[in-house]
Parts: sequence; structure tokens; C-alpha cells
Amino acid sequence: MNVQVGGIQSETGEMERALGTDPIPASPYFDPAYFELEREAVFRQGWLQIGHMAELREPGSFIVRPVEAAGASILIVHGKDGKLRAFHNVCTHRGTELVAEEEGKAARFTCRYHAWTFGLDGSLQSAPDFEQFYVDKADCALPSVHVDVCAGLIFINLAEGPVEGLCDWLGPLAERLESLPVARATTFTEYVYEIDANWKLAYDNFQENYHLRFIHSRSGAAAVGSDNPFGYPARYSFHDPHRTQTIWSNPNAAPTPVQAFAFGKGFQFAAADGFGANPHAKDYFALFPNFFLFGSPTQHFSHVVMPLSAERSRGVFRFYWIGDDDSASKRFAREYAVATGRDIHAEDRTVIEAGQRGLACGALKAIHFQANEVLCRHFFHQVDSRVQAYRETLGSPGATA
Amino acid sequence: MSGSASLLPSGFEALEPFVAGWAIAGTANRAHRRSDSNEADRLAFYDAARALAPAALELLDRKSLAVFDEREERLMNLMLSLAHVALAVESQGPDEARHTQSRQHMKITQTTADRSS
Repeated sequence: MNVQVGGIQSETGEMERALGTDPIPASPYFDPAYFELEREAVFRQGWLQIGHMAELREPGSFIVRPVEAAGASILIVHGKDGKLRAFHNVCTHRGTELVAEEEGKAARFTCRYHAWTFGLDGSLQSAPDFEQFYVDKADCALPSVHVDVCAGLIFINLAEGPVEGLCDWLGPLAERLESLPVARATTFTEYVYEIDANWKLAYDNFQENYHLRFIHSRSGAAAVGSDNPFGYPARYSFHDPHRTQTIWSNPNAAPTPVQAFAFGKGFQFAAADGFGANPHAKDYFALFPNFFLFGSPTQHFSHVVMPLSAERSRGVFRFYWIGDDDSASKRFAREYAVATGRDIHAEDRTVIEAGQRGLACGALKAIHFQANEVLCRHFFHQVDSRVQAYRETLGSPGATA
Repeated sequence: MSGSASLLPSGFEALEPFVAGWAIAGTANRAHRRSDSNEADRLAFYDAARALAPAALELLDRKSLAVFDEREERLMNLMLSLAHVALAVESQGPDEARHTQSRQHMKITQTTADRSS
């Protein structure tokens, strides 16, 4: 694979030309007013990754997940008929949050306030003294939310009315995702962080490699080399609104003793699962708006950056696995893989917060993306085009600086 | 067989002194133990555990995780602690103390190792 060191090698180059080279306004990375527009234009429209079928394996199983950016709590249910459904987690009587548990198995859901009881399909089954109401039960079903699955990954769409299908939204990436271990995953390991940073600033850190040699000088030694001193990706691709990069790694990097031992075992298990020669093993998927997935079968992690406010976010990393730990070596290899990822990602968190503090002081009116930060530029354009389009529908002034 | 020697399967007596400090159940607990250790503590454990890791996993792989006896469970947990400590020794080196401050924000919520097998 040829790497253009110090430059970029995208599939066409057309996107880079279309995106331009201008500075990017700084205020969208800290301005609360801009964030309020993003809530509507980004998080209440379009598909959001929210879970995995490994969490909903049996009929009757459910999960409840917050989507703070949309001010929503979402109940996702595996019905007795095998169908997956999603609802706003609100009782249709007077809006009480219906299910308090984060996950579980149920035959029905009963509101603790007045005991309105809903079936797994969201229909209102019973309500005490319902004759006193002035509405039909058929009109009291839980408010449904669009839900669909690709590669085992559960996506929701909070828009009302018809929406673009998930497969259309993902485009050609859907087939690639289906070829990855995540599509067959039955379990996962998870670590979570909160961060004082705008969600875009946090997300950007994980789609540019310019920082690798500085922030991950120890943990990411194999990501850079004399042929590629900044560890720039081998390739970028754009799949509006999504983007991918193909990670470059130093073929001459010598692994440390336990690293070689643990990853050697990890590769053996990946090969046994049929992923010994996965063509997408170095592909890093960035699905709009806030989801990452790394194709590596030994470090097969996803990362969601969920906005909590204009300057606070929550990140969730999940390492997906096929099958439970069934041997000591597999357990050891997984423990090491996760600890390695956590080490690297911890380093990112600290410097992202420093970036937020600098931006939030307002001293900068613009920030700069170089050629190899083109994915960040593409991401901003995707967000901003939606924000500006939504702003136009409001008919109010106050455009981006 | 002495009392201390019975803590681990035969052949792993060299790891006996580390059982109390490093044979820890739970991924988050092991990660915390790494962060709560000093360099000498880590190096002593790393040197002993790394040398015996291939033999330990070869032995443990002969049985199902679900039927480990107490001695095998301790050896398993020592190996899992090695996964964490190796990163401190082999990768972070002199930066480990500073790195610990960053790592504490990454909360481990669930792992496959924490689920019963």
C-alpha cells in the first residue's frame, strides 16, 4: 500500500476540493445557541447508533438508553413476535418515564404512577378505571421511534413521519459493516468516560492522526514510523454523510513481549472465527453523526460520543466479541486488548479537555484543519450544513461566525 | 505441600508472593490495582509473571473456565493482572504515574472476564 507521506490519498480527491481550505469557525465548538440548533438539526433527525442485538437476544428483553442530545429516553424491545421496536420511554397517560431499569426482560411494562400497562408492542393493555377517561385505548400506545439494525448494530431515528431507510443512509458501508465481527458479536466489553468538551471536538480527535506521535508517543509507537512520521492514514474515503480511513501501521515496529504474546493469541482467535484475513481490518468507520467502528478483529471497538451539553459529552467504547470467554487464553487476550485501548483513549481525553478550555475562552474566531485533518473538515461541513438548513426554516438571523 | 504453596497449581510457586496483591477478581479492580501500585511493585510482579505466562495459560487452557478450582482461579487472575501491569512496564514506563491520572476517567462498566463462564 502506497502512502503519500505528508499528503492525502483519497479515492477521488474531489471531496477535498469541494470542502476547500478555509479556516473553520470556532464558535460551533462551544456556543450553547449553536448546540441547541444541533439538537434539532442533527440529533432529532437521522439515524443514531444506540445499541447492539447482543443486548436483546431473547424475546421480551429490553434496554433503555438516554439520548440527552435530543432530550429523550428510548425504550427498545425485542418482541415476542421476534420484531424489534423502539418507543419513547414515556407513559401516554401523563408522560411519566415508564421504565426505570436500564435493561431487563419483561412480559409487559407497567407505569408506577397509575399502573397503566403496555404490551411489548407498545399497545396499552390495561389502565385502572379507564372508563373515566375520554380517549380510546387504541390511541394510547407508546410513541414509536424508527428503529433498524445493520451488522447487529441498533440504530434509531427520532424524526417524526417517514424517514430514509437505514440501508440507504449507510449506503455502500452497510455491506462492509455486515462483513465485520460486530455483525456476529454476542457480547462486548465496555468503558465509559465523561468529558468537558463539545461533542465535535471530542469526535474530531478520533478522526485525525496528526496528534498520534505527540499524545501517544508511548502507547502508539507502532502507529508512526520513518516512512510516515505522523502516522497518517493510508487512505481516506467519503460516503456522505459518513467517512472512513484506512489506518497505517509501521510494519517494522517491534512489539513488546507481553504485547506480542497477547496479540498473537488474539489473532489466533480471530482467525478461528474466520477473520484471519479481513480486508477491512484496518478500516476505521465514522458514521454520522457520532459513531466510530474500527474493523480490526482483535481490537474491534466502537465509540459513541453523545453530547450532554454544548461543552460536555459522554463517550462509550465497546469491544465486540464473538462468543463468551471459553478459555484462559481467550480471556487473557481480551483483557489485554481492552486495557490497551483504554490506555490510548485515556490519553486522548485529557488533551481534548485542554482544547475545549482554550476554545471556550473565545480568543479564537477560527480554527485550522490541515490536509490530513480533512475528515474533521468534512464532519464540520456535514453538521453545519444541517444546522444552517434548519436555521433557515426558523427564519431567524444569527448565522455562524 | 506447604500452606503457601497450595495457593497456586504446582509449578507456579514463584508467583506465590504475588497472590495477595495481584490475584484480583474483576477487570476494573485489576485496572485500579495497577493504578494503585508503585514501580518496584509492578516490576517485581511483571518479571515473575511474564516468565511464567506461557506455561500458566497452557495449563489453564486444559480446563473449562467454569470448573477452575481456587488455585487455578488465582493463577488466572494473576495472568489477567499481568495484562494491565505489562502496559505500565512495557509501554508507559516513566509516564505511568501521570498516565494513571488520565486513566481513572475511563470507567470500566462491563467485561467478558467479569461474566461467569
